[in-house]
Amino acid sequence: MSGDAHERARKLIALAGAEELSAADQVASDAWLAAHLETCDACRAFADNAGETIRGLRAIPMAAERGLVATTQMRVRRRALEMQRQRERLWVVSISCTAVTVCALLSAAVLWRGFEWLGERAQLASSVWQVGFLVFCVMPAVVAGILLLAKGTHLADHAGSYQG
Amino acid sequence: MAPESTEIARGLRRRDPDLLDRLIEQYQHRLFRYLVHLTGHRELAEDLFQETWIRVLERGHQFNDKSAFGTWLFAVARNLAIDHMRRKQPASLDGLLHEGETSFDVPETGRASALDMTLQHEQTEQIAAGMQHLPAEYREALTLRFQEGMSLEEIASVARVPLGTVKSRIYRGLSALEPWLKGAAL
Repeated sequence: MSGDAHERARKLIALAGAEELSAADQVASDAWLAAHLETCDACRAFADNAGETIRGLRAIPMAAERGLVATTQMRVRRRALEMQRQRERLWVVSISCTAVTVCALLSAAVLWRGFEWLGERAQLASSVWQVGFLVFCVMPAVVAGILLLAKGTHLADHAGSYQG
Repeated sequence: MAPESTEIARGLRRRDPDLLDRLIEQYQHRLFRYLVHLTGHRELAEDLFQETWIRVLERGHQFNDKSAFGTWLFAVARNLAIDHMRRKQPASLDGLLHEGETSFDVPETGRASALDMTLQHEQTEQIAAGMQHLPAEYREALTLRFQEGMSLEEIASVARVPLGTVKSRIYRGLSALEPWLKGAAL
């Protein structure tokens, strides 16, 4: 009997019930295995042992402790709450950004008209009042940027002194 | 598409904490057993158990209800276990083995009234001991097949390997446990 036959028999035993075969293939496969086991003591022993091993595997007790489950449920609930708060904050930030953008667009149009009118009254070249408009619009962001940068440097210095 | 999977997918998208509570209760033993066998460390399995459910909460919207929830859950747990091992040392699932000895303690059966029970208990102990010495891939395949009762396709989906590899791991794993059953390897 060839080694292939034993290997085939053992694979069929190990994968019994797991492979999706057609009814005809299943019958043929079962018949072949039964015939092989009739004549092969080693494979019959393997089949017995495999059955015992599978029963043994199913009998290994391994349960999660009640405390672990309770802790996990608590952590999941806490994380769910955190995520909900984050979503709410994100929602508020999104609404604020939209409102700021709309206000900025509206006020830019009004300001543009205002600068144009001032330029005409002061008889300035259009490029001058346009630059003025630009500086006026950009200045708050520049100032805020400088302040934040200064604050960041200040904090970094302090962090360095704490470490040092 | 199973109605249960659809229901779970809907709840996970809503991040429904009550649903998650129920799922944790329902899958507690199965998931924990899988993680213990996969990692070979009880403490690590406990950490990963918690992380898995946090990940389920965070990535629940990715569960597309085309597969069974259990399969998806085990795949999430497996990815976390692999990530953990990669952070520790760049390695594949092989790294989960030989890291430390697991003790799959088999508690006393209580009433040792029959010889059969004692023998069965001893046999289970031997197999549990044998499992410790198997490569993690084999442990995983055997656990998913014989303890969780997953189909070969489901195991392939969890382990992200071809069907042939799953078959081979089950066959080799069972063969490797044979000496332990006989007590020869003890």
